[in-house]
Amino acid sequence: MKKSLFGVLLVLLSFTLLFGCTSGTDESEDTWSDLEERGTIIVGFDDTFVPMGFKDGSGEIIGFDVDLAKEAISRLGLEAQFQPIDWNLKETELNSKNIDLIWNGYTITDERKEKVNFTKPYLDNRQVIVVLSGSDIDAKADLEGSIVAAQNASSALAAIQAEGAGETFDGGEPILFDTYNDAFMDLEAGRVHAVVADEILARYYIAERGEEKYKVLEEDFGDEEYGVGVRKSDATLLEKLNDALDEMKSDGSAEAISEKWFGENIIK
Amino acid sequence: MDYLLSMAPLMLQGLQTTLWLFFLTALGSIPLGMLVTILRLSKYKPLQKIMQTYILLMRGTPLLLQLIFIFFGLPIIGIVINRETAALIAFILNYAAYFAEIFRGGILSIDQGQYEASTVLGLSKIQTFFGIILPQVVKRVLPPGGNELITLVKDTSLAYILGLGDVLRASRTLTNQQASLIPLFLAGAIYLLMVGIVTFGLKKAETKFDYYR
Repeated sequence: MKKSLFGVLLVLLSFTLLFGCTSGTDESEDTWSDLEERGTIIVGFDDTFVPMGFKDGSGEIIGFDVDLAKEAISRLGLEAQFQPIDWNLKETELNSKNIDLIWNGYTITDERKEKVNFTKPYLDNRQVIVVLSGSDIDAKADLEGSIVAAQNASSALAAIQAEGAGETFDGGEPILFDTYNDAFMDLEAGRVHAVVADEILARYYIAERGEEKYKVLEEDFGDEEYGVGVRKSDATLLEKLNDALDEMKSDGSAEAISEKWFGENIIK
Repeated sequence: MDYLLSMAPLMLQGLQTTLWLFFLTALGSIPLGMLVTILRLSKYKPLQKIMQTYILLMRGTPLLLQLIFIFFGLPIIGIVINRETAALIAFILNYAAYFAEIFRGGILSIDQGQYEASTVLGLSKIQTFFGIILPQVVKRVLPPGGNELITLVKDTSLAYILGLGDVLRASRTLTNQQASLIPLFLAGAIYLLMVGIVTFGLKKAETKFDYYR
């Protein structure tokens, strides 16, 4: 038994090495001609991310980003297909070609730029700090020693870490949840004192739960932008997508989609 | 009521995923588990070792990891499979290992004296196994096997990691959308109902196999 355990460990270790070597050298070519031939572009999205891309009660895939993606991809003469993915594995899904785009409130960060290419930004976002309305946290400095929550693998987490704020929180790091809904529920239960989240999502959540329950601090964890994630090797797709997005911004169709979902034009 | 109905289509979509994953895994892993047990108990040492290693690997690593490995890891060595197949393969391989150990326990629990008695009575090995041993094994593996099936009902929710929308995932989407916990309770009720049905089926089976009393 001991021997076989050792053998299995050895096999796992050698796989680790194999993966470590191959994932770095994944230099594949431009897939545009394949996509054209197939006629579809597969958009990866987290189907729990409201209001950017999600499934409604009837199982229909809807959302701001979904509308935007459908319009842009149809301008490329292709059909958009939507594949729900786990948000923690989004770049893995993209690079293993299970999906062709990450388009779901995907914040442009330096760390992510190493793994994927981004289109030009199409939306501004802030990492806001949300607390309960009765909370005595009024400024960012008050977060020191408080329990703060964010989503796992999110840009909020990256923003917190970039400022080195995580170490000042109670426990030395933020509490990470798989979805923001869990974080907000924990906030309401009083176990966490503040949630750092995308403004777009936080506004939606607060509107759903009641404006009077929460307050959004004036200070934030920085401005950021949403872009569409494209594989590093897909230069043609990136260029065409940028053109399509520019076209949509200038002819007002992007504005119309923004009005539909947010009641105002927040397209960049 | 209207409120529940508004969630029904998405929940039913999720239920469909949960159900096919449950049934196909059960259908695949129980026979595979039997095969593994037979090989594990064979007289050939290398075969025994291979099966031991397989069981160690499957029980020794999290199912979630196995799902990720099969879906994202295999394409690196050139084996590309779709989401549903990858999930199914991971579930069947994992559950077969557990079933195999349950079956082995069942077979080993039969007293050696029964084999000796069968030999004395002039029964062949095959007659002994199918006529004497197996009917008793079936009785003994039903409760632990049932346990495994019930765990499987709930483990199907791990398929979320491959983006498969099961009941739990559907309810989490609805929870996010409505900022309310009710869809999660609904998911709980659905799992409870499924486990209730499995439990009922197992009880029926136990009554049916309630011989040699």
